[in-house]
Amino acid sequence: MRPRRLRYIVAGGICLAAVLLLVVGGLSRNIVYFRTVSEAVNSKAKDGTARFRMAGAVVPGTVERRGDTVAFKVTDGNETAEVVHHGDPPELFKDGAPVVCEGHWQGATFASDRIMIKHGSEYRPPKVDTGAGTK
Amino acid sequence: MRAALGSSGLVMGAFAAVLGVLTTALGLARRDRRIMNTGRQFTYVVLAGALIAAGAMEWALLSHDFSLAYVVKNHARATPLLYTVAALWGALEGSILLWALVLAGYLAFTARKFRSRAGDPLVAWALLVGLVVATFFFALMLGPANPFKVVSGVVPQDGLGPNPLLQNHPLMAIHPPMLYLGYVGFTIPFCFAVAALVTGRVGEGWLLETRRATLVAWAFLTAGIVLGAWWSYEVLGWGGYWAWDPVENASFIPWLTATAFLHSVVVQERRGMLRVWNLSLILATFCLTILGTFLTRSGVVNSVHAFTESDIGAWLLVFLGAAAVTGLGLIAWRGDRLRTPGRIDSPISREGAFLANNLLFAGFAFVVLLGTVFPLLAEALRGQQLSVGEPYFDRMTVPIGIALLFFMAVAPALPWRAASGDVLRRRLAGPAWAGALTMAGVAAAGARGVAQVAAFGLAAFALAGIVRVFAVGLAARRRADGGGWFHALAATVAGNRRLYGGLVVHAGVVVVAVALAASMGYTTKREAHLATGERTALAGYHFTYLGAVDHDTGQKRTVKARILVERGGRRLGVYAPALSIFPNSAQAIGTPSVRTGPLRDVYLTLVSSPDETGRITLGVQVGPLVVWLWIGGGIMLLGTAVAAWPGRRAGRRAQRVEVSTRPSPPPAEERLEEAPV
Repeated sequence: MRPRRLRYIVAGGICLAAVLLLVVGGLSRNIVYFRTVSEAVNSKAKDGTARFRMAGAVVPGTVERRGDTVAFKVTDGNETAEVVHHGDPPELFKDGAPVVCEGHWQGATFASDRIMIKHGSEYRPPKVDTGAGTK
Repeated sequence: MRAALGSSGLVMGAFAAVLGVLTTALGLARRDRRIMNTGRQFTYVVLAGALIAAGAMEWALLSHDFSLAYVVKNHARATPLLYTVAALWGALEGSILLWALVLAGYLAFTARKFRSRAGDPLVAWALLVGLVVATFFFALMLGPANPFKVVSGVVPQDGLGPNPLLQNHPLMAIHPPMLYLGYVGFTIPFCFAVAALVTGRVGEGWLLETRRATLVAWAFLTAGIVLGAWWSYEVLGWGGYWAWDPVENASFIPWLTATAFLHSVVVQERRGMLRVWNLSLILATFCLTILGTFLTRSGVVNSVHAFTESDIGAWLLVFLGAAAVTGLGLIAWRGDRLRTPGRIDSPISREGAFLANNLLFAGFAFVVLLGTVFPLLAEALRGQQLSVGEPYFDRMTVPIGIALLFFMAVAPALPWRAASGDVLRRRLAGPAWAGALTMAGVAAAGARGVAQVAAFGLAAFALAGIVRVFAVGLAARRRADGGGWFHALAATVAGNRRLYGGLVVHAGVVVVAVALAASMGYTTKREAHLATGERTALAGYHFTYLGAVDHDTGQKRTVKARILVERGGRRLGVYAPALSIFPNSAQAIGTPSVRTGPLRDVYLTLVSSPDETGRITLGVQVGPLVVWLWIGGGIMLLGTAVAAWPGRRAGRRAQRVEVSTRPSPPPAEERLEEAPV
């Protein structure tokens, strides 16, 4: 009875450990870090070609469409990075737009394949004053 | 006026909940049936308070009462009626109010159902726990999430209106209430589980009392999840229906543990085993619904659903911790009584399969939970912002899903206790051949992907097994009674609604699994820049851009692109995906245009409106079998209804009769084990 029970516990423990290892391994391979432009520039050497998300604002006047790609610069005020985006940027992509680009470093530029426009969760339609009324 | 009415409703509900807790506790301490009965009746007052509060809010919304901050934020004069009513659950405070209302409704229903057993400590404890939960939610509304806050200063003339995403599709009016009916419904089995632990009556009694409540909650949650996926597909315009978004996961994780619970209770009913496991599962399910509310409503995660931010997060976390600690402490305290009398004789048996199914569901829930809360943990502990990519979820959950499909195919054919090789061969050979032939067939037809081929094969395996059980039951019934097929079908199902209802749910799962595998594996999409008159092609379809229509209402500007869809030279019609831009907001809301068909959906999105050169970016996607996701969800609900619908024998006593003495003729499930089939 007792050795048999022990065997079950050991077998169960091994299974559990294997599953945990698998899950944690899968997790660590699919983590996408979120960095500001400064952080991204600073950890460039360390990151290699690992994917991450970089947040900044589009520098006005730098957007340049070349066929299927769009090249532009993003800044967070301190550092500026050059981005080459493969694909079509979303509707609200424009000069000064706050963007999050997902991709990786490719030489000196950041190769992105996904651009998200950051937006506040609070939605404000036009012509309405909040709180204290105007009329 | 309405604010005062609503607030008094809240105060009334809160007081009634507290008084109900105290009275019931007093009654329990004195073992006085009459005092306990008075405590029970406080649930009706709680319901009345919640109804008054919710009614006052709806009244305020419908009468444009912009003296209420909630109305200003979530309603505008131009908002259509449906979304005005739905604004009750459009934001944080209102959705907590809805939560409290649903909880009060469930509690009052339970109190009424057990009115003749008011002196039973199990019932009294269960209602007491329920009233404690209600007290918490009313306290939330009297504290940090007050829906009846009045605006300071002058009352505005008009409000902001609901979030644009929330007033784009009628599904928005049904999806959240369904989800809440499911979420909150699990409070009832949780209450009875705690009551069972406190009173020490940890046998099968509490399971039987809450069987239907659990099924009903599960059905609503299933409906809520499916409708949410549908809404995501029809409104968000990215072409998919599930993104492993933290808030989608928040609804899915309790569904997983609840599904595990629905299966493992059967083992406890039949064999008296898995008591601790069942208690833990229902405890986990309840805690996960609170965690889900925390994720959805505290604004800690970035997600399409995180519409609100507030400081109720800390409250919810404390409540979550309290519930988890109480539950685990009770289980530890009752450890000696929870020893199970039976044991699993053979792994190849019904209970063995149920156990495997449960471990898989628990693993599934763990994987999704870890991926969902990991970014929160990382940010809290290491201050790093990160997100867990979708590939993690896909890679981890697909194998678990396929294994679950396998057990779903095999388990209904396994007998209890132990299976002989002979029985297995007789019951599984046919379905297994059906599965193998399907796999070979789809592989020969050029199906790509191991997961897809496995899913199709196992789906056929499972479906054939279900059909077989129905056929055997029908044949036996016809031999016994004679009569037509339809009559025999009705009689067979009525004879064991849990079995046949469950099998119908399984059939729904099969349909969903096939649709998932096909749409995940074989969807093709592309984006194209098109000037007027230009066309693009995808998967045999041709898309011609006919021109754009601009529509400006002052509040938003909508651009519709008219796209002619053709296939093999045949015109299928003109579709108009649109993009709405709200000038003061950084959000562009796309409205996809979907051509739904039984075999494939054609999904059109306007990625960007005409640029300087008049070219649009059009997103086109052809996804096979998508519509079957929703149909499969419907079949699952139908099956649940068959299993849970109160029959003629229903009632407080009949349920017990059903377990102690088997109705005659014996259900087909039993007969399967003995009769030479």
